[in-house]
Amino acid sequence: MNEGQDWIYTDIVKEHFMHPRNFLFGDESKFKCDAVGVVGNPICGDQMKMYIKVKDDKIEDIRWKTYGCASAIASTSALSELAKGKTLDEALKISAKDIDDYLGNLPKHKFHCSVLGHQALADAIKNYRER
Amino acid sequence: MLPEVLNAMHGAETRFFANASALHTPGHLAMNEIEEVRKTLAKLIGAKPSEIIFTSGASESNNTIVRTFAGHQIETSPLEHHSIIELADKVSGNKLPKLYSYMLANNEIGEILDIQKIVKEARSLTTPKEDSLFEPISEWGKPLVTDRRGAYVHSDLTQVLGKIPINVCELGLDYATFSAHKIGGPIGVGALYVKEGVPFAPLIIGGNQENKRRGGTYNTVGIIGFGAALKKIQCEKSWEQYDTHVRKLRDLLARRILTEIPGSSLNTDIAPGKSLPNILNASFQAAEGESIQLYLDAEGIVVSTGSACASGDIKPSHVLMAKTGDAEVAHSSIRFSFGLDNTEADIEKVMQVLPGIIDRLQKISTIERKTK
Repeated sequence: MNEGQDWIYTDIVKEHFMHPRNFLFGDESKFKCDAVGVVGNPICGDQMKMYIKVKDDKIEDIRWKTYGCASAIASTSALSELAKGKTLDEALKISAKDIDDYLGNLPKHKFHCSVLGHQALADAIKNYRER
Repeated sequence: MLPEVLNAMHGAETRFFANASALHTPGHLAMNEIEEVRKTLAKLIGAKPSEIIFTSGASESNNTIVRTFAGHQIETSPLEHHSIIELADKVSGNKLPKLYSYMLANNEIGEILDIQKIVKEARSLTTPKEDSLFEPISEWGKPLVTDRRGAYVHSDLTQVLGKIPINVCELGLDYATFSAHKIGGPIGVGALYVKEGVPFAPLIIGGNQENKRRGGTYNTVGIIGFGAALKKIQCEKSWEQYDTHVRKLRDLLARRILTEIPGSSLNTDIAPGKSLPNILNASFQAAEGESIQLYLDAEGIVVSTGSACASGDIKPSHVLMAKTGDAEVAHSSIRFSFGLDNTEADIEKVMQVLPGIIDRLQKISTIERKTK
């Protein structure tokens, strides 16, 4: 669909897609985390996993993995930046809109299917609290 | 667009900017040019010039034929273009004669279909004698008659023109669709082959253009551009170059992908006669198509994908779904289309970056690569 077209994404999205932050490369066990959360399904085209390390009720460190399109990768990367250092309650408040605002707005048709990371993060926090 | 096409269109803008249906000299000259293009296309596909109608493109050509058979039985495959399947879904009924609409080759995976088998099946059907098999629409689309055959066959030849030799008579087709921009011509021009004497209902009713088979002022400049592209494939016998030069490159990329990229598989059957020589569709386990496409784009390599994400749809490519039944394979697919000007250096360029892109996506993927 992008044949011959310019990028449909903003420069911030492009930057996060080309140079994603805080991703977990390869073997999961390389990152010692306290909890993991998942959202999405590869059959639908997008799946995100968030790995969190918690200290004093704060997200001390965070990693993610994504199977998905450019906006899925960029939005998960952006979320990891937004969530780092926040308390668990603060992190739970991060919404899809916050991620979208941070990225300078994704194309409308991309927003609903690819901005899912905050749900994976909420799942990770829930799993952490239920340990 | 081909430079020859640009030149021809530029010339046409200044020399033939006139209504081709008008009686004045510029109009008459424009008409002569259009008729030349009609002859060129007819010759190239083994038809008579009077059997060619110019349209705005493949979607209009496809729509025209499907609408001709509104209320009739229409058989098609899930691999067809949306301009066929979506309309056929809407307008098909139970009346006879029936329409079969099958592409000769599919654009996404390049698969070549045994259309003669379908023609044979169509010819074996008979329609009971009835007075009115089609609703008459005044004098429009005069050839709205039927020779009482059981079925008619349409084929969307958009993807194959210039890539493999085509003869509509030998193929046994009643209708065929063509598009200019797929052969290096302008966007917004296409054609329809309608065999003499078969049922036909015009989609656009307006003036007397195209023998009352397609209303609307002739797109002279566009048709002349289409003509320049047709002339080029005719002079160069492009289908021979596709069969040798392009096939060699396509097969080389296929082999290198399979041997150098773990988790890769081909959706195109590259055995001779099975697919168009210029299409290679491959899937990469655990890596999503739009991401692959955009990382390649950043390297100056333009490909397309069957992933839903790239299309603004939530469903992945209907063609790959029909073919593989596996949404993950469809989401992870990339289509490489080759042209006559591609070289081995282009394959090298792709293979310098593609393995790294796939490896990186696989390593940040939530899905684990199953095969080595």
